[in-house]
Amino acid sequence: MSEVKNIKNLKEFSTSADRFEGANLLCPGCAHSIIVREVLNATNDDLILSASTGCLEVCTAVYPYTSWDASWIHIGFENSSTAVAGAETMYKALKKKGRLKQPERTPKFISFAGDGASYDIGFQWISGCMERGHNMMHIVLDNEVYANTGGQRSSSTPIGSSATTTPAGKISYGEKRNKKDMMSIMAAHGIPYAAQVSPNKWKDMVKKIQHGMAVDGPVFINAVSPCTTEWKFDPKDTMNIADLATDTLVFPLYEIIDGRELNITYRPKNVIPVEEYLAAQGRFKHLFKDEYKYLIKEWQERVDEKWAYLQRREEARV
Amino acid sequence: MAKKGWDEFEIGAMLRTFDGKIDDIAGTRQEDRAYSQNSSYTASVADWRLIKPVFNKDYCIDCQFCWIYCPDVSIVSRDKKLIGVDMDHCKGCGICVEVCPTNPKSLLMFPEQADEETEIANWPKKDEGEA
Repeated sequence: MSEVKNIKNLKEFSTSADRFEGANLLCPGCAHSIIVREVLNATNDDLILSASTGCLEVCTAVYPYTSWDASWIHIGFENSSTAVAGAETMYKALKKKGRLKQPERTPKFISFAGDGASYDIGFQWISGCMERGHNMMHIVLDNEVYANTGGQRSSSTPIGSSATTTPAGKISYGEKRNKKDMMSIMAAHGIPYAAQVSPNKWKDMVKKIQHGMAVDGPVFINAVSPCTTEWKFDPKDTMNIADLATDTLVFPLYEIIDGRELNITYRPKNVIPVEEYLAAQGRFKHLFKDEYKYLIKEWQERVDEKWAYLQRREEARV
Repeated sequence: MAKKGWDEFEIGAMLRTFDGKIDDIAGTRQEDRAYSQNSSYTASVADWRLIKPVFNKDYCIDCQFCWIYCPDVSIVSRDKKLIGVDMDHCKGCGICVEVCPTNPKSLLMFPEQADEETEIANWPKKDEGEA
């Protein structure tokens, strides 16, 4: 059972039996469940999952229903990572004592959390898990805002975004601070694998998830999750927004191995100007007023700079 | 499990997804699983929908884009073939129509009350685009 699932193409992938159920209460067009499905279907192994408080948790575990067909636990806002780390430690201990009933089964330990629960509230816990070297995977569903509680800013919210606690108006253009570079912070722990993924590039995603499951040690995955409610776009456009995010390089897809080797895994054939990504979302609407137009230029410069940095790092192998 | 009132919670609750034991969940299709009444698979969100997707298998090339990008596990695929849409769990977001690559599209959104057979009979013709 522990062998890696062979997924060559989408047709083969579609024979997977889902372990995540519909009739959850996520918004129509929510990218969270797309990411969760791609992750869970990437393996046939048993899963031990947890979720932090957030959209995914409140919508998939509404008493008396659960949308999970695998063992799943929720404790608090901050500790989905430590909940899974604890389970993993117990598993290791039982294995050592020879008390596992089916030792041939190799469960995978995965914790899901939103960006608020990872970038801000659960930061210390995740850092602890990465540092202690648990054999687990932490996946951030990064929608750049506290969507569950009504759209307050998180430290993942990018500059210029209008959130309920950083509203755009006469005297402000919204969020004024840049997005936290979580990938670099996590890679700095020296963990074996950290990667940024997007649901629209399912093959890249599955490859990274499978690699992450195969390595021994903590794995950090940052997945962009376009939020139809807080990013303010039509539910049917979720995948188009994800396409724009990866093709404008606002969300470059790359991986960092052992905290050093950086590989860019997706290079768009035609790089689209950031302006199109911003124009597609209601949260950036005010940036197109004359007085804030300079921010779009700054956005583009920032994205270009980051892309150049990633390429330099890939080449230098440091 | 006896239904409890909202103020009768235990501090921790454990819900069992299945009645009985399933050894290999990843190898068991949804229709073969014995879901308990606690699984949201037994629930329905059909009343969320204002528009519904209609599937026309004549144009489908089984690319499975709709299957992978469906947020609600509502596109039913068996043996690499697309069978149809699970109308109990579909919320009518329209992503499946958006990602469908065929011309004309094999999935289109129609108002909830539309009759499926009539719509399939009047399916739009191939869009030649501007020459």
